[in-house]
Amino acid sequence: MNSFTRWWEVTRRELFSGLRRPAYWVLFAILLLMAWGWSEGAVTISSGDSTVGGERSHVTSVFAQSMIQCIVVMGIGAWFLAIAAGLVVIRDLELQVTEVFHSTRLTPREYVWGKFAGAVGVFFVIWILYLCMGAFFNHVVAAGEDTRHIGPFILANYLSPTVLFGLPQILLFAGVPFFLGTWTRRPIVVFFFPILVLLVTLTFLTTWSPDWLPPDVNRALMLVDPSGFRWLNETFLKVDRGVEFYNTAVLRPDAGFLLSRVAFGLIGLAAVGGAAMSYSARLRRGASESRLLRSFVRAMKPFARVPGRRRARVTEAAEPSSADATLRDLDMATEPLGFWRAARVIGREEVRELVRRPGMYLFVPLILYQSVFATFIAIGPFNSPLLLTSGAVAVRQLNTLSLLVCFLLLFYTVESLHKERSRRLAEIFNASPIGTGSILLGKTIGNSMVAGLILALGVVASWGVIVWHQLFEGSPVGFDIVPFVVTWGGVLAPTFIFWTALVTALFAFFRNRYAVYGLGFALIIYTVYRMDFDDSFGWVLNWMAWNAVQWSDMGAFSLQGTELFLNRVLYLSLVPLLVALAVKWFGRQDRDATRLVHRMRPKPLLIGVLRLIPWAVPAIVLALVLFFGGRAGREGDAAEEAQKDYWRENVATWTDFEMPSVSNVDLDLDFEPAERTASVRGEYTFHNHRDYAYEQIPVTAGQWDPIDWTLNGEPHEPDDRSNLFVFEPVDPLQPGDSLTIGFSYDLEYPRGMAKGPGGAGQFILESGIVLTAFSPTFLPTPGYNEQIGVDGDNTSEPKDYPDDFYEGETEPLFGWGGAPFTVRTRITLPEEYTANGVGQLVSDEVTDGRRTVVWETDYPVDLFNVVAGKYAVKEGDGTAIYYHPEHDYNIEEMSAALDAARKYFSEWFHPFPWDLLKISEFAAFATYAQGFPTNITFSEGIGFLAKSDPRSHVAFLVVAHEAAHQWWGNLLTPGQGPGGNILSEGMAHYSTILLHEQVYGDRYRIEFTKRLEQMYGDQRFVDSEQPLVKTDGSRSGDQTVTYDKGGWVPWMLHQEMGRENILAGLQAFIAKYNPDPDFPVIQDMLAVLRDFAPDTAAFDAFAEQWFFDVVVPEYRFSDVTKTREGGEWVVRGTLENVGTSRMRVQVGATAGERWSDEGDDASRTVVNEDYRDARTEVVLGAGESAEFVIRAAFEPERVLIDPDALVLQLNRDMAVFEFEE
Amino acid sequence: MLEIRDLVKVYPGPVAALQGVSLDVSKGMFGLLGPNGAGKTTLMRIVAGLLEPTSGTVVFNGEDIVSDPRRIRRQLGYLPQDFGFYPHLSGEAMLRYLLVLKGVQAPQGLKKLAAELLERVNLTYAARRKVKGYSGGMKQRLGIAQALAGNPRLIIVDEPTAGLDPEERIRFYRLLAELAEDRTVLLSTHIVEDISVLCPRVAIMYDGRFVADTTPGEARDRLAGTIYQGEVAKEDLAGIERRYRITQAILIEGRNQVRVHMPAEEAASGAVPEGFASVAPTLEDAYLLLAQANGAGS
Repeated sequence: MNSFTRWWEVTRRELFSGLRRPAYWVLFAILLLMAWGWSEGAVTISSGDSTVGGERSHVTSVFAQSMIQCIVVMGIGAWFLAIAAGLVVIRDLELQVTEVFHSTRLTPREYVWGKFAGAVGVFFVIWILYLCMGAFFNHVVAAGEDTRHIGPFILANYLSPTVLFGLPQILLFAGVPFFLGTWTRRPIVVFFFPILVLLVTLTFLTTWSPDWLPPDVNRALMLVDPSGFRWLNETFLKVDRGVEFYNTAVLRPDAGFLLSRVAFGLIGLAAVGGAAMSYSARLRRGASESRLLRSFVRAMKPFARVPGRRRARVTEAAEPSSADATLRDLDMATEPLGFWRAARVIGREEVRELVRRPGMYLFVPLILYQSVFATFIAIGPFNSPLLLTSGAVAVRQLNTLSLLVCFLLLFYTVESLHKERSRRLAEIFNASPIGTGSILLGKTIGNSMVAGLILALGVVASWGVIVWHQLFEGSPVGFDIVPFVVTWGGVLAPTFIFWTALVTALFAFFRNRYAVYGLGFALIIYTVYRMDFDDSFGWVLNWMAWNAVQWSDMGAFSLQGTELFLNRVLYLSLVPLLVALAVKWFGRQDRDATRLVHRMRPKPLLIGVLRLIPWAVPAIVLALVLFFGGRAGREGDAAEEAQKDYWRENVATWTDFEMPSVSNVDLDLDFEPAERTASVRGEYTFHNHRDYAYEQIPVTAGQWDPIDWTLNGEPHEPDDRSNLFVFEPVDPLQPGDSLTIGFSYDLEYPRGMAKGPGGAGQFILESGIVLTAFSPTFLPTPGYNEQIGVDGDNTSEPKDYPDDFYEGETEPLFGWGGAPFTVRTRITLPEEYTANGVGQLVSDEVTDGRRTVVWETDYPVDLFNVVAGKYAVKEGDGTAIYYHPEHDYNIEEMSAALDAARKYFSEWFHPFPWDLLKISEFAAFATYAQGFPTNITFSEGIGFLAKSDPRSHVAFLVVAHEAAHQWWGNLLTPGQGPGGNILSEGMAHYSTILLHEQVYGDRYRIEFTKRLEQMYGDQRFVDSEQPLVKTDGSRSGDQTVTYDKGGWVPWMLHQEMGRENILAGLQAFIAKYNPDPDFPVIQDMLAVLRDFAPDTAAFDAFAEQWFFDVVVPEYRFSDVTKTREGGEWVVRGTLENVGTSRMRVQVGATAGERWSDEGDDASRTVVNEDYRDARTEVVLGAGESAEFVIRAAFEPERVLIDPDALVLQLNRDMAVFEFEE
Repeated sequence: MLEIRDLVKVYPGPVAALQGVSLDVSKGMFGLLGPNGAGKTTLMRIVAGLLEPTSGTVVFNGEDIVSDPRRIRRQLGYLPQDFGFYPHLSGEAMLRYLLVLKGVQAPQGLKKLAAELLERVNLTYAARRKVKGYSGGMKQRLGIAQALAGNPRLIIVDEPTAGLDPEERIRFYRLLAELAEDRTVLLSTHIVEDISVLCPRVAIMYDGRFVADTTPGEARDRLAGTIYQGEVAKEDLAGIERRYRITQAILIEGRNQVRVHMPAEEAASGAVPEGFASVAPTLEDAYLLLAQANGAGS
């Protein structure tokens, strides 16, 4: 028998025994489900837009398959490869078969390579099956109804990603764990590598790509990403290339990337070579560990001592009294340990062993890094860092800690339960009189110490980071341990206890660690997948409490505290059942198969189940409470059905019904925040501003029962059409006439329990109140609401707007329609609350612990809201900010921004007509800000908790944007239809650019506009992007077009027209449409501005490109040289526009840094004395190139495009040329 | 008193490891003799509560072990055939850990007791050494120390002398003999000498059945005058095998020293081979003859 035959025999044996292991069948099942999911279009390249009926990117394209293979091999394959390859030698060592093997002619090298080949072979077999099934689902079954995402079958589309992305990863993720397992012989270490790589890749390598990242560094990161996803993303996916490209282009790797992939494969194979060397060396040495490993363990020992344990007691052997004494002389007795003492003994031994495991020193720092430090790089609005309070820090780590510690507990619990068997101590151990319950509890206690240690270290690390931010970055936020105790203790601890009990029960049942690993892994991944992608996996099944806490410093658990509490108690109540099952099943005695069959007969089985029922009763009751509570609550079937009925019964009749306008709203609201309730009374005055009479007036109400209605002050029973109440006055409402509709009811909001974890945009809670009149959440709204009851079954064709839709009268984009109206809001609530409405405060009285405030509009509004909380207040110049007393970090900046906004926007656009402009903070159960007239609401995560450093001024920016809505949204309410929202959001961004420049100067305006440009470049969808005049929010990428491009284009128009001209034009525009029955869209704005344009031809050309077409330039330099000619330097080069549009753009040659980072805001915006630049201008159309010459009195160091950020473009960073020194 | 009744154990296959064995064992040393695969370890593990039988009962001192294995654990000292320890612990720490688990108490304290027990098994010199550095014999002795610890009323030792050198075997015999004075010791082995030295009573197992329940003396007495020993040339051995029941044939210096069984009446008729003389029978003769009678080969 030659060497190859021996190697093949080892490989073959490992391959066939591997295929019989349950873990691999779990893997295959997971992959099969995923393949089926892909075939339904669950994942594909984000390009194109299915909603517009166009072509979709194919899931079968080489790019989609590459992306899938990156994700699947890295996310799932790595884990199973670690099991398949990492444990293979360890298992043989435990079975003590290796010495027999090596007494034959089998060499260590043949054995190691054979084992590796067999283990990897199992994965390959499953992988090939997965690819075949994927192709079968895609091309034969075509599982989804809409198969536009399926392209033609091209074998290379499956094979080339496997070779390029799959194979190198497979070799790497098999080879390195194989080496670690062979070298250390410790199963836990085997899993270190895939998890480390997975975390670093997911949190850093594939996602971290700030706009300032130098291209060389970016390129290097592409090459060190083992998944290859960064290269794929940065090269092909990040900037959308369009559906056609992704569906038809060939994926051609560059040489550097190819070498990188080969290198990863070779690293994996080299690791196997290393394993062979290590294994051979150990065989020669005997069973002892390698010197390197020994020295590592020795080095770790000082950190590994258990506090309070006196080492000397273990190693000092007492001297025997007399060698001749008999056993009887020893006077031994046996008194079995009590339950708790036995558990303590077992637990102590577990801890003693745990602290010796290298995995502890690898995983714990890794988890801390991932959970703590990743939390502190959280990004908020405008890609700015967040100012994290202790509560936010604690809650942001919940999911990460839950996921990673559950993985760790899975490893440690299984290995701990298997320990006696793997060490062949099981027979002695199981014959001892110690109780099974004590054994399991002791092991659980030991392993729980790991979770406890991680949480304790997590708190310390969080404290350290918060203090570090305080000391070195000037963060005003201090550390508070209470949120950690409450959330980690109350939420995470039950998860870990339940999970440990479940894993123990599963192990006791299966008695096979690979089966438990497979099931445990599948359960975690499935839970996370369902919780993140499918909200039907609600509170009942959310054992990990995934996404369960919406933190607010204003009242953390006031929103879903009851659901969370019941969920936690539910899973804790399952623990006794699981423990009972584990104790019953735990294999201290090998079961007899015949008796087992007898026990499985219906009667004994039924008796067994009946015996378990008492243990399960609490959990069943709690699950039923959560299940039916959720279904009876606001998201329940009844609520959904009522909304669907509303749609079905009314959509055909009332969709285009034009309402009479509301002229006055009078409200009397009595709140009980602690009970989530309100007593609502109110009256709307409807004024017929049209030229025809109304016989019916519909009003949409929420699910409040009963509602007492009045019509013109008299009790009235309108026709109830599934909550659309249709009033029919005795005499039709004639043109110019008015009538009143009154209502009275009690309200709970949010009503009942939620089905699953989530936030809330409006609420009455102890932490505060935020309610808007957009939809019938707390008040009836006039007319039919087209948004209610729409789902997969109830859908209408999108409204088709002709090109001239804006001519004549256009309905408003939001608000209640018609002319602005007056509002009087009387609010009663506990005296510790401050309540704000629209308008100005008329009265504020406190009687018997109840505060009553009255707000009245001093100038008509188009919409209104109510917000309340236990506030502190910062008053400015005609402004006020109401905030949570602990959130004063950015108050000065926000107040300054609000003052500046009121002052400058009044000067630039229209005088502010109301008395007071205020901002009120609300709990971060939703992350948004809304600029209601005079009464802006901010979630605490926006502005108040933004880390507003000089680079970002994010608190200033969000205040400026929302304040701008007083003009762009309220004073000028946009019209309904394509482009309408750009007059609100885009113009608010444009206003923010202007205000930023006004207050902080050029430097920060340039950085802000570049940031908007970067977001546009990253988030746009080439195929679905429409001109601004057509953008209606319905397509992928419309958000960045509306906000970011919508702000940039007026900024470019600002350059085109000149500052004075455009501001004059905008003033005229607002004046024209405030108030007006015709609500404007972009075309209306352009018509007004055109009159103020100094060059109407240029204005028209600009508008044609940027408003009526989709263009964006992208510039590249080539052949750039600098020469000294006489007393000056001459820079020559070629500039090409590889994008679209025709724009005049500046090219600058510069030397030195333009701005300094030293000093305060004012000094940082002053141009450095040693900075020099010289510029020229080039006009380029799409695909055109032109030579340019720049003459400078200094030696240029670089050439760059558009130094002042005046032209929106793609990949600005690529249009920089650095001269070599 | 250990009472085993109609014990059956069928492994999936099916393989009938025990085919309805019954046995009563009172205080003292009881030997269980049989070839590999006879069912000794299966029987031991069932008695130790580690293996569930297919049917039958095991009662020790009036307590049913099959229905509740926990009952035996507090009275048991058990040395399995194959075992290991936590490799990272020293011998002394490992033993102390097991003493704690077993609930062993001693006036001198567990530390001192562990040292005394290690002394009894001659491991004092290696008490502080980690178990992973122990030889097979050292591990066996550590196993013996834990099995003897406490005051177990039933001691089960499965192949206890495997891996022990002669000196250690004798030391172990002494310890077991001392313990057997006032408790039940069940010794399973296929080394006949262990049984003949230690056990006043022995049961012989074949194919999951007891084929004999006797004492070593009784077994020997039954064969008195029927065992003959002589030397046979290599080429003559086949002829002897055809004509006589050979209990042993050992090749010494090119000649076979052969023991044959011959009933007295045959011997009287002059059938004794030339050069053979009557010798005292041994327990091994009895065991091997029983093996032949049950078709287990010689």
